[in-house]
Amino acid sequence: MRKPSLFTICFVIFIASWIFLRYIVGSLISVPIPNSVIVMYMALILIAILVHISVEDSRLSEFLRPIIETLVDENKKVRRIVLVVLIPLFMLGYTYTNIAQKAGPPGDPRDAHPSPPLELTYKDEVIEDVENPYRHLEKDNPEEFKSHVENGRRVYYDNCFYCHGDHLDGQGHFASALNPLPANFQDPGIIPNFQESFFFWRISKGGPGLPKEGTPWNSAMPIWEDHLEKEEIWDVILFLSEYTGYSYREVGH
Amino acid sequence: MRTSIFVLSIIIFLLFSVIFISYAQEAPEVSERGKEVYEESCAHCHGVEGRGDGSAAKNLLPQPRDFTGGIYKIRSTASGELPTDKDLFDIISKGMPGSSMPEWESALSADDRWEVVSYIKTFYEGFKENESPPKEISLDGKIPYSEESVEIGKFFYTQFACFECHGNAGRGDGTSAPTLQDEWGFKSWPANLTENWNFRGGSSTEDIYKRFIGGIAGSAMPMFEDASFGLTIEEAQRYGQLENKVEMTDTEDEEFNTLDEKMGNAYDILDMMTEGLANEEQKQKHAEAMKIFQEKSWHITNYVKSLAPEKRPEPAIGKNALRSQYTVDTLPTIDDAAWGTLEASYFPLVGQIIVEPRQFNPTIDSVNVKSFYNDTEVAFLFIWDDRTNNTEEQENEDFGKTYEDAIAIQFPVKIPQDPTAPKPYFLWGGKKAVYLWQWKASAVNSVTELTAKGITNAEVQEVQGDIQAEGKYTDGQYRLWVKRALKTDDKKDLQIEPGVFVPIAFSVWDGANGDIDTKRVISSWYSFVLEPVPSSRRFIYPPIVALLSLGILVGLRGFVYRRNS
Repeated sequence: MRKPSLFTICFVIFIASWIFLRYIVGSLISVPIPNSVIVMYMALILIAILVHISVEDSRLSEFLRPIIETLVDENKKVRRIVLVVLIPLFMLGYTYTNIAQKAGPPGDPRDAHPSPPLELTYKDEVIEDVENPYRHLEKDNPEEFKSHVENGRRVYYDNCFYCHGDHLDGQGHFASALNPLPANFQDPGIIPNFQESFFFWRISKGGPGLPKEGTPWNSAMPIWEDHLEKEEIWDVILFLSEYTGYSYREVGH
Repeated sequence: MRTSIFVLSIIIFLLFSVIFISYAQEAPEVSERGKEVYEESCAHCHGVEGRGDGSAAKNLLPQPRDFTGGIYKIRSTASGELPTDKDLFDIISKGMPGSSMPEWESALSADDRWEVVSYIKTFYEGFKENESPPKEISLDGKIPYSEESVEIGKFFYTQFACFECHGNAGRGDGTSAPTLQDEWGFKSWPANLTENWNFRGGSSTEDIYKRFIGGIAGSAMPMFEDASFGLTIEEAQRYGQLENKVEMTDTEDEEFNTLDEKMGNAYDILDMMTEGLANEEQKQKHAEAMKIFQEKSWHITNYVKSLAPEKRPEPAIGKNALRSQYTVDTLPTIDDAAWGTLEASYFPLVGQIIVEPRQFNPTIDSVNVKSFYNDTEVAFLFIWDDRTNNTEEQENEDFGKTYEDAIAIQFPVKIPQDPTAPKPYFLWGGKKAVYLWQWKASAVNSVTELTAKGITNAEVQEVQGDIQAEGKYTDGQYRLWVKRALKTDDKKDLQIEPGVFVPIAFSVWDGANGDIDTKRVISSWYSFVLEPVPSSRRFIYPPIVALLSLGILVGLRGFVYRRNS
C-alpha cells in the first residue's frame, strides 16, 4: 500500500482532533465543551501542524505537493473540478444556515451566589448572633434538637415541598412552571457552600430581597417572614441538613 | 471425586434455597424497617397512623390516601378488590402524576419500597383476612392502536356515556363534572383526557385499560359496565343508530326490538350468574358477552389514547419561546383556519402560593399561545382548558362558592434593555410596573388594560386603548383572541417591535375552583418575540461568499501555474 502523503496525515490529524474534542471528550465528562474552548485547542493544533511542516524546506514542499498537483496537474482534472464545485457550495450552505438561524431569547446571566446584606434581619428586627440558635442543642440536648428538626420537617412539608420537592431535590410538583428552577438541596454545591445565616436571609426575604447586583434573579421564592415565625425558619434550616446529610459552612470559615 | 460432586451439589442446593428464601421474604408480615422509612418519608402527608392526616395534608387535593380504609384508587385488580403488592410498589416507585405524590424510585431503594408496602398493609385488617391474592385484570385480547379502532372507540365513548363526566372532547368538562365528589366528600374533577401526563395511574394503553375495567375506587370513576351488553360491536353500533332515529320504519322497529331483547337476555344471564343458577350454555354465552365487552373497552382505551399528545409539550423556554409569525395580510380572526398552521407555545401554570389567599390545588394545567403580526398590528390566540364556564359569582349548596373565570396576560411596561437588567417582579410587578390585559368570562369581547405595581396593587388604565378581543368557550376549552396595534400613544402601554424579545407571564382564574383575586394559577416570566421577517441578507451574502471562495481557488491555481512554468 502506498504511504499516505504528509498532507493527508496532517488533514486526518486535524479532523480527528476536532471530532475528539467535539464529541468524545464531551461524552466522557458528560458535559459538552464550549465552542470557544474547542476553537482555542484547534488553533493550537493548527499551529503545531504548521510548525511541523515548515521546519524543513523538503517537508514543506512534500506537504504542498498534493495541493499543487491538484491545482495544476493535467491528470488531476477530475479531482480539481469536483473541489472547485464542492468548496463554494459548502461555503454557500454554511453561510446560509448561519444567517437564517433564529435568535434565542436573551439568556439569564445571573450570579450563582448572591451576596447577602451586611445585617441579618427578621422583619425589621436585627439579629445580632448569626449562628443558628438551636444548632448547639445537637450536642447539648439531642432530644430537644430532634424536636426542632421534626418541627422543621413539618414546616418544610407544609410550605416548601410544593416547589423544592419531597426529596429536597428542587423537583416539586409546582417546579415545572418556574424559571429558574427551585434550589436543589441535594446538590453538593448548595448546603456546604453557605452558612446557616445565608439560608435564613434567603428564606426570610425571598426573591424580592435579592441584591440589586447580579440581576436578573427572576426568583419566585416568597418572602417567608410574612408567613413563618423566626424559630420555624431556623428549624427548617436544621431539617434541610439533617435530611440531606450535608453540613452548612461554619461561621468564620 | 464422588465426595466433591456431593459437596458441590450441597453448595448448589444451599445457593438455590438462599435465593428462594430471599425471594419469598420480599414482603414480610411486619417490618421495623418499613415503619422507619414510612415515618421518615411518608408520614408528613399520610399521617403516622396512616389516616391520610399528616400535617401537610390540609393543603392537598387529591388528599393523601387514608390507608386504614383499604380503598385504593390505582389497582390492577377488579372493582371492589384490594390492590396487589406490586400495585402498591409501583405507585410508590412511580408516584401519581398530577397529584403531590412524587416518585420514590430515586429516593428509596427497592428493598425499602417493598418494606413500606408491607408496612402500609398493616394499617388495614382486610389485607390480613384476605388469604388468596386479589384477582388481577386480564390484559388478554389487547387491540393494537389504529385509526379504525379509535373510530370504534369514539362510538363506545358516547354509548357508554363517558362524555357525561369527561366531556365531548375529553377535557373533563361533562355536565356532571361540577357535582362530583369522592368517597371522603372532597371535590373530585374528572380527568382531562387530553392531558395524559396528569393521569394518576400512568398513561400507557394498559394503564388506561385497567382504570377502565377496575374503576378508580373512592373516586366518581365507576367500574365499567357495558351499555350494550350482549351485543357485538356491529350490533351495538346499529342499536345506537336506531336509538337516535326520530321515526323508525316497521322493519327498523322490529330490528331494534330484537337487539333490545338480545341485550335483555344477556342481562338476565348475568343475574343468574351472580346467583349461581346459570347452566353451561348460559355460562358460555356470558363468557362471549364478556369477551366482546373487553374488545369494546380496548377500543375505548385506544380512543382515549388518541386524545392526548405522546408526551407533555416542552415549556416555552429558550428556543421554544413564543414566536409571532409575520404575515402581509390582515390578521386572522378567532375562527380562521390560519391558526391551524401554527404550533402553539406551551406555558405551564402553577398555584399562586406566595400571597394570601393562596391556591394550593390548581385545576388549570397550562395556557397555549399562538400569534401572528403584520406591519401595524399583532394578534394572539390564548387557549386554555377549564372544565366549567363560570360567568358570575354563585353560591352553591353542594360545592360552595364559585367565581368568574378570567385570564390576565402580563408584560413589562418597559422591556429590559439588556440581559442583566432586572424584569418587574413576576407577580404583577413591584417597584417596576407591569402592563396587563385582563379578560373576564362575563364580557367575552373586551379586554381591560391594567397597570400594576404588585399583585394587590393594580389599576385600570384611565385611557383604554383600542384593543379588539373575542372569547369563546367550547367543550371545556377557552379560546381568547386579542388584537392590538404594535405601537400606541399611551406611555403606560407596552410598545412592541419586531425582533425584540418581550417578557410575558400569565394569571388564570378557574372560578369553579374558588379562584378569585390572588387565589389563581400563575406562570413566571417567559418571552415572546415578533419573529423578524427572514432578512433578505440570506439571499445576498451566501452567493457572495461562494463566489469569493471560487475566486480564491481560481486565483490560487493561476498563481501556482505561473510559478511552476
